Amino acid sequence: MRIAFAGNPNSGKTSMYNALTGRNEKVGNWAGVTVDKKESPIRKSMYKGTEKLVAVDLPGAYSMSPFTSEEGVTSEYVRKEKPDVIINIVDATNLSRSLFFTTQLMELGIPVVVALNKSDINEKKKTNIDVSALSKRLGCPVIKTVSTSASDEGLREVVHAAVSVAGSVQKAPYTQGTRVLRDKAEAEEADRRRYAFVNGIVAQVETRAALTRDRNSQDKVDAVLTNVWFGIPVFAVVMFLVFQISQTWVGPVVADALVGGLESFQEWVRGFFETANPLLTALLVDGVIGGVIAVIGFLPLVMVMYFLIALLEDCGYLARATVVLDPMFKKVGLSGKSVIPFVMSIGCAVPGVMASRTIHNERERRAATMLAPFMPCGAKIPVISLFAGAFFSEHRGIISAAMYFSGIMLIFLGALLINKITGNSAKHSYFIMEIPEYKLPSLSRAFATMCSRGWAYIVKAATIILICNTVVQIMQSFDWSFRVAESADTSILASIAGPFAYLLVPVVGVLSWQLAAAAITGFIAKENVVGTLAVCFVGLDNLIDTEELALMEGAGTEVASAFAITKAAALAYLMFNLFSPPCFAAIGAMSAEMKSAKWLWAGLGLQLGVGYTVGFFVFQIGTIGMTGGVGAGFVPGGLAVAAFAAILSFLIMRTKKRLAAERAGKELRNG
Amino acid sequence: MDNVILIAVLVLILGAALAYIIKAKRRGVKCIGCPAGGQCSGAKGGSSCGGCSCNCGCGHSE
Repeated sequence: MRIAFAGNPNSGKTSMYNALTGRNEKVGNWAGVTVDKKESPIRKSMYKGTEKLVAVDLPGAYSMSPFTSEEGVTSEYVRKEKPDVIINIVDATNLSRSLFFTTQLMELGIPVVVALNKSDINEKKKTNIDVSALSKRLGCPVIKTVSTSASDEGLREVVHAAVSVAGSVQKAPYTQGTRVLRDKAEAEEADRRRYAFVNGIVAQVETRAALTRDRNSQDKVDAVLTNVWFGIPVFAVVMFLVFQISQTWVGPVVADALVGGLESFQEWVRGFFETANPLLTALLVDGVIGGVIAVIGFLPLVMVMYFLIALLEDCGYLARATVVLDPMFKKVGLSGKSVIPFVMSIGCAVPGVMASRTIHNERERRAATMLAPFMPCGAKIPVISLFAGAFFSEHRGIISAAMYFSGIMLIFLGALLINKITGNSAKHSYFIMEIPEYKLPSLSRAFATMCSRGWAYIVKAATIILICNTVVQIMQSFDWSFRVAESADTSILASIAGPFAYLLVPVVGVLSWQLAAAAITGFIAKENVVGTLAVCFVGLDNLIDTEELALMEGAGTEVASAFAITKAAALAYLMFNLFSPPCFAAIGAMSAEMKSAKWLWAGLGLQLGVGYTVGFFVFQIGTIGMTGGVGAGFVPGGLAVAAFAAILSFLIMRTKKRLAAERAGKELRNG
Repeated sequence: MDNVILIAVLVLILGAALAYIIKAKRRGVKCIGCPAGGQCSGAKGGSSCGGCSCNCGCGHSE
């Protein structure tokens, strides 16, 4: 039996789906987290019967008339796939809006069970809903649930009710009839009539101690956090604290202990194979184990950051952050909804890019897809931590936060460029987002998110990164005649990465095939930058030793001296890696969402051009500031940047000419 | 003897990693280890990934 979970955005569908199926799908205390349908069997502990039940989690929808593509997924599924039963998850704190969709679902002729979710919040707010009266008025079972609590008895009741109503016939409480709505005015009138009916039901079944229009403490907090003047500084402070805690205060301490243990293991392995072939020993100890340790060493920093981000999301702040950023994004011609992909990209660019499908306008959607990877994702945290710790150890929190704000700035600039190139008339689109209530964040959910992300990081390190490090180690050990290379400089890796190293001279100031190789392997997975550097500069496994850092003789300076680059070059190289094209998985997601080879290549070109330009300017300006003269590779780098600017100018001019011709044509036609 | 053990260890580690990657790719996973569940497909725009039943390409095999 197939049971579809349908309801308004942020009503708790995916939380209920996770509780009933035991899955761990992404949930969030905001609307628009789910953009595609998912299905999984319901756990036996939730239903004792013999029938096999399959839950289908659908994206949130306000109405059966889809406005966005994810609403279309829901509408199409319930209309065409005809599930056996629909569990309609209703946000009990917002009954009138939720029941609008309920009455539409009941018109489809599919049995419906209403799960009156978030009932615990209603109890706290002293809002009472007469469940039996509501059930009578709707003509279907209504059960109170708390989907965030897996032990909630209501969840089992909902499943049992769904099984019991399967195959039955329910009479829709409200029918629009078969009349075809010919225009917008008729559709709006039909919606008004339906709302009037729903409000009539709500008036009969709901009693509230506090009315929606009453100004409560949450509204007062919102007045500050989403204030047009205070919102951005508050957001900046919050994000700075996230990075400061994860990368300076807590993360490195845990990482230090972890790396210490792993290094002991590495030395034990080295000792165990003391008499074995040195090449094979180096492959295992320095290539496989060393490379993986370098990446795993940053795991605590990544986990602490995900924990904090999960807390911010769960308490309702992240949804407010989107409201704060929305007006700024609109000013540069992006959809307000772009904020969601950008914020989600902090975790991983792939779901971030995919979240852009909630944007209705095609140009805005493609622009958001193109720009979302500028937000540094979780995979880039080790790279940021390495360079911030090694070269700016006393200000690593500030440098880390600065990378994220640089990402936001580049999104603005990128959006402006895309506007100019595509000739967008900068029409303002509207972004309506339901702001969730503030609540105490769940530590257990944040912990689960952190573990899930941490596990993913470990899996990636033990598979993709391990293989890459091994290949890098082999390529570094042999020359093209497959003899042991006399030195790493004559190796296969050096000869492949060498030409790219010339391209990087204007960014790092030195000819370093190791830095070029790390940047290239970063396209497979961004963590590879750290892994490859650890393999290429043997002995730099422990890149975050806090004790030694405290003594000012430790990993930081050791790494900095091994890389043999200046602070300006380190920052430039870091920014080049962060803002150049993302990993292949994210490029695949970009391709899928853009559905246009032209836009995809344009996006990759823009990202490469922006990454290189930022790296060039940071290095050259930094070098001028430190030494008074320009850095190495100023002329060739300047020419490359000028070529990029010329291409952009040509595209902008071409668009201007096209628009002028179109205007002239229009004027001619108008006489 | 040490060399034989060392080669065996390397083959075991690399073989296991490769087997995991190949298995995951066959299931339609785009990004190894990605915890984004049903949202991590991307590449096929939410169309069927072939190996999993959720049609989202996330690679989950239930």
